[in-house]
Amino acid sequence: MAVTVAPAADRVTPPRVDPPRPVRTRHFVRLKLRLMGNNLRGQAWRISLFVLGVCCGLWYAVTGFVLFALPALADEPAWALPMAGIGGGLLVLGWLLLPLVFFGVDESLDPARFALLPLSRRTLVTGLFAAALVGTPAVATLVATAGLVVTAGALGGWSAALVAACGVVVGLFVCVAVSRAVTSAFATMLRSRRVRDLAAVLLALLAALLGPAQIAVINAAGRVDLDAARTVARIVGWTPLGAPYTAGVDAAEGRAWAAAVKLLIGAVTLGALLWWWSRSLESAMVGAASGGPAGGRSVPGGAVAQLFPRLLSWISRDRYGALVAREARYWWRDARRRSNLISIAVIGVFVPVMVNVGSRGMVDGGDFDASPTVLSGSMLFVGTLAALTLANQFGFDGSAYAANMIAGVPGRVELRARAVAFSLYTVPLLLAVSVVMVFFLREPAWFGVAVGSLLASYGVGLAVNMYLSILGAYALPETSNPFAINTGAGIARSLLGFVAILATAVLGVPVVVATALLGDLWLWLALPVGAAYGIGAALLGAYLAGDVLDRRMPELLLTVTPRR
Amino acid sequence: MNRSAPAALALRGLVKRFDTKVAVSGLNLDVPVGSFYGLLGPNGAGKTTTLSMAVGLLRPDSGSAWVLGHDVWASPLQAKQLLGVMPDGVRLFDRLTGPELLAYHGLLRGMDPAVVDQRARELLDVLALADAGRTLVVDYSAGMKKKIALACALLHSPRLLVLDEPFEAVDPVSAALIREILQRYVGNGGTVIFSSHVLEVVERLCTHVAILAGGIIQRAGTLDEVRGDRSLEEVFVEVVGGRTATGEELAWL
Repeated sequence: MAVTVAPAADRVTPPRVDPPRPVRTRHFVRLKLRLMGNNLRGQAWRISLFVLGVCCGLWYAVTGFVLFALPALADEPAWALPMAGIGGGLLVLGWLLLPLVFFGVDESLDPARFALLPLSRRTLVTGLFAAALVGTPAVATLVATAGLVVTAGALGGWSAALVAACGVVVGLFVCVAVSRAVTSAFATMLRSRRVRDLAAVLLALLAALLGPAQIAVINAAGRVDLDAARTVARIVGWTPLGAPYTAGVDAAEGRAWAAAVKLLIGAVTLGALLWWWSRSLESAMVGAASGGPAGGRSVPGGAVAQLFPRLLSWISRDRYGALVAREARYWWRDARRRSNLISIAVIGVFVPVMVNVGSRGMVDGGDFDASPTVLSGSMLFVGTLAALTLANQFGFDGSAYAANMIAGVPGRVELRARAVAFSLYTVPLLLAVSVVMVFFLREPAWFGVAVGSLLASYGVGLAVNMYLSILGAYALPETSNPFAINTGAGIARSLLGFVAILATAVLGVPVVVATALLGDLWLWLALPVGAAYGIGAALLGAYLAGDVLDRRMPELLLTVTPRR
Repeated sequence: MNRSAPAALALRGLVKRFDTKVAVSGLNLDVPVGSFYGLLGPNGAGKTTTLSMAVGLLRPDSGSAWVLGHDVWASPLQAKQLLGVMPDGVRLFDRLTGPELLAYHGLLRGMDPAVVDQRARELLDVLALADAGRTLVVDYSAGMKKKIALACALLHSPRLLVLDEPFEAVDPVSAALIREILQRYVGNGGTVIFSSHVLEVVERLCTHVAILAGGIIQRAGTLDEVRGDRSLEEVFVEVVGGRTATGEELAWL
């Protein structure tokens, strides 16, 4: 080495560096595709899940395409505007809310991984945005909305079809951008200790939008009134929700200026969303900024006293108590779990109110037909959904679960403690839901039915999800975004959730049947019988699933440990 | 080795395959009671896989692991009572504060709450973690995380400590403290096995050394048996067979 360097030793020149080649958007897209491909490599079950996801996406795409193209196919040009405005608006709303409440976002390109690279914020945002467009949901949305191009083309010729095509692309961009910007913003807020409670309230309000959206759908479907639908669509069409999607219709109906303005609205919205996203990306890249340490002041009392929250002072200071205390603290401190709790709270109140009270407002003439059976059925849904949160309870812990294995915690104790800790939050919530429902329906006598159905379905759901959490666990990515999931995990999550809901519903249906058949007698029996059924099912589930857990602990640890 | 008493840790014919790659292929190892055992190996040699199978975190494809005469996979409860483990690359329950985490581990081990309180206080003081107060473990520095993990492994005074990379990402002051604690633990009759690729630490601390490469133990025995009259580094490089000199490449550096 010394020989080669010697001639240059007297004139110290820095080594020649080629100017770096610019990073282009396609690099991000290629990276995303490569990640998706590697994720599938050599794992048959991942491939089958992926295929299943593609099939679901295809079904959704074809259905949407037919619906959007229907005004042209059925030769009903008057329906073009309502279909585009309301359908498109619901689509954007879905992209806004579903990632927050149910699905999460595929963050396989974690922004934090790019923090050390010399990339301008602009390059990063456009790159990540392009990568976000690569995926089954985005492609399915594009195919579905392509039906609008067919409609516009049939009504207004090539020029209208072209405008509609532009609108469809802008609309897709808005959909993807809104899901990214909102989840990223909430992730930032939930990370920070100061505003996380505010974020919780905001999230609740956003999810509450699901209610009005549902009313609008029922409304539109209930009264097939073209004029009303056109009015709604016209209004929605001038908001960012529907603007890009209705541009094609405007062009077809000869309002070129309106089409141009609407495309502009879409583009401006897109720009604003991307700017908003880029702001929160920066804080995500800096890492798990937790608002700093909570201060060095030490706490009175010994270590054991600190572990147990004050509300849990009644619980025994042993292995079981420690598990319950740790889980109870985790449901509040872990942003991922907390966002799940908030979702249950919101859905648990709104869905039954919609089903029971909403149906009254929809039926013209006010012939109110809420019944204990409907109430019991909707409560079954809420209880099932609440228990579903535990479907991947070990995935929340990730590799930290190793500590419990090393300590040799028996499976039954583990499962019982986890169910009890979660119920500390959910049972008061379920009781509150019952009170709210009875209050709305002005039927205090039905309180027993509501609580009984809730406890029965919740208990059965706990039992089902204990099995599921052991046999169907999956790893969650170790990022600071509580909404992030791994590529392909979305479909697994939906599929397993569907299985759990189905099993829980089957096991919980006897309560609804009893409500329908037994009449007034059941109003008194529902509470004790439902509670006993639920508690018994949960205990039996922990007893049986505990054995499975004892046998499968190492395998479980392997599946919940994120691959790095 | 004394044949009458069981070894603190005995591994027999451990095999682990991941997909097509064989991580550990037929590994045998005896860790005598009272020894300070260093498990050396290059990156990817199978150190973490071996230790995970030894403590019951990863199920071996074949073979067995015995802790003081108890089969880890057949009678896990007795074996785990005697074990203290500090895994590497595994998260702690890091949304607890330091004292909360210690209390959790202590109660999980079935200890008396008063004893947990007293030992947690002493451990936090000695490891200089008492000042952290209400800070969550997730906000600790890397060195603090290692120290609290060690405290969790020590809390129930196990007979055998299994530590995976205890000195990685630890500053010199903390490293000295951890060394001191481990030496005292061995001095009082405990047994330590730890993995590392820092040869200086192993040479300074250990009574016994095993060199692991390619999924099997290449050399094992007391420190003097393994290194003979050479330095440990020379033996290690020779056994592992790595490249130690750069040639014509990297001229641009």
